[in-house]
Amino acid sequence: MRYGAAAALLAAAALLGCSQAEKPKAQVIVYTYSEYIDPDLPKEFEKQTGIGARIDVYENTEEMMSKLQRGGASQYDVVVVSDHAVPVLAKLKLIQPLDPAKLPNAANVSEQFKSAPYDSGSKFSQPYQWGTVGLMYRKDKAADLEPSWAALLDPAKQPGPVVLIDSMRDMLGVALKSLGHSVNSRSTEELKAAAARVLDAKRSAKCLGFAPGVGGKSKVADASAVAAIVYSGDAVKACVEDDKLAYVIPKEGSIIWTDAMTVPAQAPNPDGAHRFINFILDPEVGAKLSDFNRCGTPNAASLKLIRKEDRDNPAIYPPADTLKKLEYIEDIGDATRLYDEIWTAVKAR
Amino acid sequence: MKLLIWYGRLVTRRRLLGEGALLALGSVLWVTLLVVLPLLVMVALAFASRSEIGEVEWKFTFENFRRLAGYGILGWSADYLLILARSVWVAFVTTALCLALSYPLAFFIAGRSRLTRAVLLGLVIVPFCTNLVVRTLGWRVLFERAGLYPGPFAVFVGMVTSELPFALLPLYAVVERLDWSLVEAAQDLYASRSRVFLHAILPQTLPGLAAAIILTFIPTMGAFVVPGLLGGEKYWLVGNLIQQQFGESRDLPFGAAICLALLLLTLAGLFLVRRKGADALA
Amino acid sequence: MTRRLHPLLAVLAIVALAALYAPLAAVAYLSVNVNRQGFAWRGFTLNWYARLLGDSAILEAALNTLVLAVVSTAVATVLGTLLAIAMARFPWPRGVRRAFDLLVYLPVVTPDILFAAALVVAFQFLRGVSPAFRPGLLNMVLGHVSFQIAFVALVVGGRLATLGRSLEEAARDLYATPWYLFRRVTLPLLAPGIAAGAMLAFTLSLDDFVISFFTYSVESRTLPILIYASLRQGVSPEIHALSTLIVLATVCLVVALEALTRFRKE
Repeated sequence: MRYGAAAALLAAAALLGCSQAEKPKAQVIVYTYSEYIDPDLPKEFEKQTGIGARIDVYENTEEMMSKLQRGGASQYDVVVVSDHAVPVLAKLKLIQPLDPAKLPNAANVSEQFKSAPYDSGSKFSQPYQWGTVGLMYRKDKAADLEPSWAALLDPAKQPGPVVLIDSMRDMLGVALKSLGHSVNSRSTEELKAAAARVLDAKRSAKCLGFAPGVGGKSKVADASAVAAIVYSGDAVKACVEDDKLAYVIPKEGSIIWTDAMTVPAQAPNPDGAHRFINFILDPEVGAKLSDFNRCGTPNAASLKLIRKEDRDNPAIYPPADTLKKLEYIEDIGDATRLYDEIWTAVKAR
Repeated sequence: MKLLIWYGRLVTRRRLLGEGALLALGSVLWVTLLVVLPLLVMVALAFASRSEIGEVEWKFTFENFRRLAGYGILGWSADYLLILARSVWVAFVTTALCLALSYPLAFFIAGRSRLTRAVLLGLVIVPFCTNLVVRTLGWRVLFERAGLYPGPFAVFVGMVTSELPFALLPLYAVVERLDWSLVEAAQDLYASRSRVFLHAILPQTLPGLAAAIILTFIPTMGAFVVPGLLGGEKYWLVGNLIQQQFGESRDLPFGAAICLALLLLTLAGLFLVRRKGADALA
Repeated sequence: MTRRLHPLLAVLAIVALAALYAPLAAVAYLSVNVNRQGFAWRGFTLNWYARLLGDSAILEAALNTLVLAVVSTAVATVLGTLLAIAMARFPWPRGVRRAFDLLVYLPVVTPDILFAAALVVAFQFLRGVSPAFRPGLLNMVLGHVSFQIAFVALVVGGRLATLGRSLEEAARDLYATPWYLFRRVTLPLLAPGIAAGAMLAFTLSLDDFVISFFTYSVESRTLPILIYASLRQGVSPEIHALSTLIVLATVCLVVALEALTRFRKE
């Protein structure tokens, strides 16, 4: 009997301990995409401000959003989110408006990002990095690959094993672009055509299936695939290490993305969060960040400080005529269910 | 108040059951709160709808079930039913293959000496205790090398090797206690090998067979991790669909409806097997 | 002759058994292969194992996995044992008995995903009561216990069934109080069953993926979740080393369990 009571008490204490175990100390907890911040930067932040910065990672935006909805909004101080998530998170009241007084470095941001379509006036977010979605391939297996989405979507033109991207908006967006439509199309006909295209690609024997962007990159990098849909940052990092790899934006156009820093509604340390965001917007920190990520910097002041080869690399900073063919993914509001059913069709048939 | 003698105690039934209830309280409360009640809530959720930004709106509607039956925005399409059917199919084939392998294995093990039997059973249990994800990693490596990744063969090998112990152990339990005299009698009557199996062996193993089917078929209907990893995430199963609704789509009501569909299939399967099992034993 | 198996079937049986080990062998092979990508043998190395120790994410996941398994097993063993005793040693009416049976058999046959979905819904509502119920170790423990209880109850119940009443009634004849009876007679007799149930619960927790996947937060990530993420994003050789270690740990655990039950029988 006594043993039973002791065991019960111990168990209760352990359970309680579990829920307390994640209490933050004097720190900010940053929730971001994996391998998206130079590991030196949190240490520099701590040196400058005395606040520790802990980085936690997620795989894709939608999973992150549902985590935030399920109570994650009180676990993190800064969340780096995809552009199209910002208005939705704001509507769901999961993020709080930023205090411009605490962000003097926000003046460094380039004009086009200050008035970005997803958050004009930068009320809820500050830009973190930007980039594109493109085609990554092996030059040693497909030297004269035509820079077109057909290399992935047309079974006859697939140069070998290919990987599609396991993200609804990105995959359907790519398919829509390949047919000359907008990535934010709400037309049933256009979406059905896009789904048909992806289904053709999927059913080909050369298709290795769907993987997240970084998964596709890994497969191309270790030669188990010849081409994949990859985000520019991951792709350029791989290309820099191995010159047999290449990244290109297909001629039909593609998706441009901006990742933005936001502060969740119940952040444990909102003051620290603002200091972290301000820290990232510092010109030198921004340059160091982009040097590490090989992504585009939205910081006009950092642009002058980044590595020269990156500044001249069209994979990171596409030329003006390519930029015209790039589209932002926007929230599709009430067309969500349509997209859902289309994506289900792609995965079901 | 009627007194009864229970394990040497003279006590009222009321008092006795009160004590029993106290003992069981913790477990019952835990499971009720975390499993039974939520499942009931899901019944209600399945009739609710989703707001534009992904929150639950408590407006009664049959929409989720209509959608499951195929009446979507794109007109009628069988996609969701296809996914459900595929899950049942994967479960069916996996179970059939598991049984086909488990019978020989069970007889093989049962025919050995006591020590060998213990060793062999241990050998079966050890891989089963290792992590599912680790085993699937191994299979993917092997199938990539063999050029069979992704593909249905890879998926079924992965599934069968995961579920084999669930089919083997119940079958082995009955095979070990098989009444061989019946088998010998059949053979004395010059019955062919297959008739011996069908009429002398199979009927005796039915309780084990029923358990094997229940333990293999029903959990496998919800499987999605192994088929996903070995199938290149190309074809969704019910589990993926549920994961999508609870995750990316943030459509809890629809997710609840799908869960109910799966639950109904589970209960139907259970009912069928027990019914058939009871009939056969009669 | 009757007990001899058709040779083809015997071969099939052996092949099936060997196939169970093929993936584990493949992972072990890669974990000591110098080759970072691909299957070809390029030399022996323990480098990948060494790098495991420097990977804080992996070490944290390992700790989480262990803490989760230990805590949930402890709670589930206590609750499951009490439930088994309650079910077996009390004169319930038929309806209650069937409800108990349902309670105990349902987690065993229900697909994991249904369990996980129910837990997600449960925590959604519990968060209205207290914000402590957000994705994390607490939720994971609560989730694991909810299915472990049934397995523990089944194993202990099985042992209880074999015990019979005679020993306990004899103790009663000697004027033992119910609690003394429980502590000095029932519990020691049940001990092997409780140990087996606990080990089963422990293994189930270590192996669990689906339920953890629906209740985890990044700080409380477990090893299966980590390995799954790397399967999706790109597997490094350290993951092969990690996986092999997990397999070895499991083997030791199972062998220890077998030894324990065998020793106790004697």
